[in-house]
Amino acid sequence: MAPSAARDGAREALGAPALAMAATFIAFGAAVAEAGLSLGWSLVATGAVYGMAGQLVLLQATSLGAPAFVAMISATAANARFLPMSVAIAPLLGARTGWRRLLVVPFIAITPWAAGMRVLPGLPDSARLPWFLGFSAASWAVAMATTAAGHLAAPLLPVEWRAALLFTNPLYFALLMAGDLGRRGVAPAILGGVVAAPLAWWVGGAWGLPVAGVVGGTLAFLAMRAR
Amino acid sequence: MSEADLALWLTVGIGFGLRLVGLTLGGVLRTDHPAIAWASAVSVATLACFVALALVMPSGLLATVPWPARLAGVVAGAAAYLGLGRRLLPAMLAGLAGLLLARLVTG
Repeated sequence: MAPSAARDGAREALGAPALAMAATFIAFGAAVAEAGLSLGWSLVATGAVYGMAGQLVLLQATSLGAPAFVAMISATAANARFLPMSVAIAPLLGARTGWRRLLVVPFIAITPWAAGMRVLPGLPDSARLPWFLGFSAASWAVAMATTAAGHLAAPLLPVEWRAALLFTNPLYFALLMAGDLGRRGVAPAILGGVVAAPLAWWVGGAWGLPVAGVVGGTLAFLAMRAR
Repeated sequence: MSEADLALWLTVGIGFGLRLVGLTLGGVLRTDHPAIAWASAVSVATLACFVALALVMPSGLLATVPWPARLAGVVAGAAAYLGLGRRLLPAMLAGLAGLLLARLVTG
């Protein structure tokens, strides 16, 4: 049961959603190359941070010359969703998984999480963890390969194409957020972030984004609580 | 170790920590617990702010793309997303095509 569940998960990961995800990792690899950082840096960011929002914010902060602590705060604010995502998926991973459920820790990211939340409730208990690990390992491998491809290919592309590639990630996240508007709490948080954008510009430098994100997110949270 | 490398490894460590805490709390806390809801709101707001700044006031190489071309990219991407069953890949390709075409016009 377990190996076949893992295979099923891997097969599903290599379908259509992988293509959209791959495009964002190609763009990320290209953006890292554009910032003058190494292939190794891009692969550690993809492989071990493995949360594109935080990866992009981290890259932007380091490009601005931010101190490491400030860059980490910015990236963590963008990836703070790891916490609610992990809380939500934990009960779906199956009972009596023991220490083996720790294997999912590096893989809780938007693509595997969204697929897991959709598919895991319909699987038998014993198949859930293998399915999620199979899906996660396959999508992680795609992310690593496409990051490397983007980093290596970027210097070979004309400047207009490189600039267009950098446009891919904000567009991807804009579309992803638009698709998520119906989920409870998302619309106020998006509005909070957009309204706080001038604050990021006013604060400036590497602190601008995390300050605006915390202020905008907290205001949205308080507005939702007040309703 | 450079600042960029240190920032990277610090972010890796905190990311693992957040996921580990979340897995441990799963089944204990509900996803609508105030602390979880706050972290979720901050995450979405930070990302929305990042996207808004990247599209309206970009830095680096993206800043060399004129704003009408960026606007054309967003409009083409959104139109394809809404018109083609909310599929991400065709929408992204349409957005890129919109940006590149508009760039041919704007120079």
